[in-house]
Amino acid sequence: MTPKMNWICDQTEARLSDYIDDLLTAEERAAFVAHVPTCERCGPLFASVAHLVTNLHSIAEVEAPPRLVYAILNQTLGPRETVTGWPALRRWFRGLATMRFAYGALSLAATFLVLLTASGFNFRHPKMADLKPVTIYRKADAQAHLVYARGTKFFSDLRVVNEIQSRLRENVQTPVNSEDTLPQNVPGKEPGSTDGSKPGPRQQNRADGIYRNLEVLADELPVFTGVYGGRRTR
Amino acid sequence: MEQDAQLVQQCLQGDGSAWEELVRRHTRRIFNICYRFTGNRTESEDLSQDVFLRVYRTLASYRSAHGGFATWMTSVTRNLLIDHYRRTKRDRATDSLDDKMAIVENKESAGRRPDEQALLGELSGQVQAGLTKLSPELREAVILRDLQQLEYIEIQRILAVPEGTVKSRINRGRIELARVLQQMGVRPS
Repeated sequence: MTPKMNWICDQTEARLSDYIDDLLTAEERAAFVAHVPTCERCGPLFASVAHLVTNLHSIAEVEAPPRLVYAILNQTLGPRETVTGWPALRRWFRGLATMRFAYGALSLAATFLVLLTASGFNFRHPKMADLKPVTIYRKADAQAHLVYARGTKFFSDLRVVNEIQSRLRENVQTPVNSEDTLPQNVPGKEPGSTDGSKPGPRQQNRADGIYRNLEVLADELPVFTGVYGGRRTR
Repeated sequence: MEQDAQLVQQCLQGDGSAWEELVRRHTRRIFNICYRFTGNRTESEDLSQDVFLRVYRTLASYRSAHGGFATWMTSVTRNLLIDHYRRTKRDRATDSLDDKMAIVENKESAGRRPDEQALLGELSGQVQAGLTKLSPELREAVILRDLQQLEYIEIQRILAVPEGTVKSRINRGRIELARVLQQMGVRPS
């Protein structure tokens, strides 16, 4: 039986990478494992080195500049053939016939169109004066105010409609006592027949509430005028 | 590896496209070694060009029996990097250690493009800054082993030193780099 190895800190530090790279014998490995967890100096050192190695292995390679390959080829094989004149022009135009260029041109045109529309440019009767910066500024300012006013009106209308809807919902959800609404058995009367008597006070209040709401709706939205106009007070 | 040897043979017979293929296959790797060693993109570009120029001129001296083309090329790269380090050593020797560190940091921030600056905030940038503070012997050992992930035997061939020296340099390089990064405030994530 071989005697058990006892490593000191210097030995452990010197073989740190051998442990990480799995180059230790079983005996050396056992000695390493026995020392490191119990040592205040070697424990943190091993942890930091092991962590560093893991991180180094995960670092991606830096991308070489694309021109480097051409520069090397120029230096070694000599400068490459350069195209001039019409062939160069043809090659340049061929470069424009790419999807990338088409997308770029399209998005640029769309942006220009949006900006012109926003500035109030009249596409039906275009004038040179419309392209003056002062005119563009004035029209854009007017457009901005118009958009703001329309937006404010739209939200105001929404608020009114929402208010009316909530009031109507409130009235619908108001609990009504079944005793008041259900027809009572009156001796001598058939179910469904009317006796010309007035509705109860609670029923009358509910109906008044609905009419009130519809009046408000008619006031705010002209489309309701005429339908409920008969009960309008104004 | 065999493909490289075949391409070299074709190059030696005057096939330009074979050389172009070799250049395309190895440019990124060589550029990375140079960049990790110098920490400067412009210098790395120039050095990479020098490497390929030297390889092109001495291609006939390559013997596939002595190892792979990539190993041979890395060896050429390493020799050029050491030459470059010695040439520029005088500039650095006049400065104290603190000044030197400040210069390295200033050079890094002044000479880098915005995308490189962004990288500095990441692990890669931190490691790069740490590597520049190691001695060239330890730096090259760590780069070859942990960034290029070469085997010990390949590193031994490239550095032309005994196995024990390779192991010792890698170990000391790692420990030193871990300490430098700790001093820089890089915490293990």
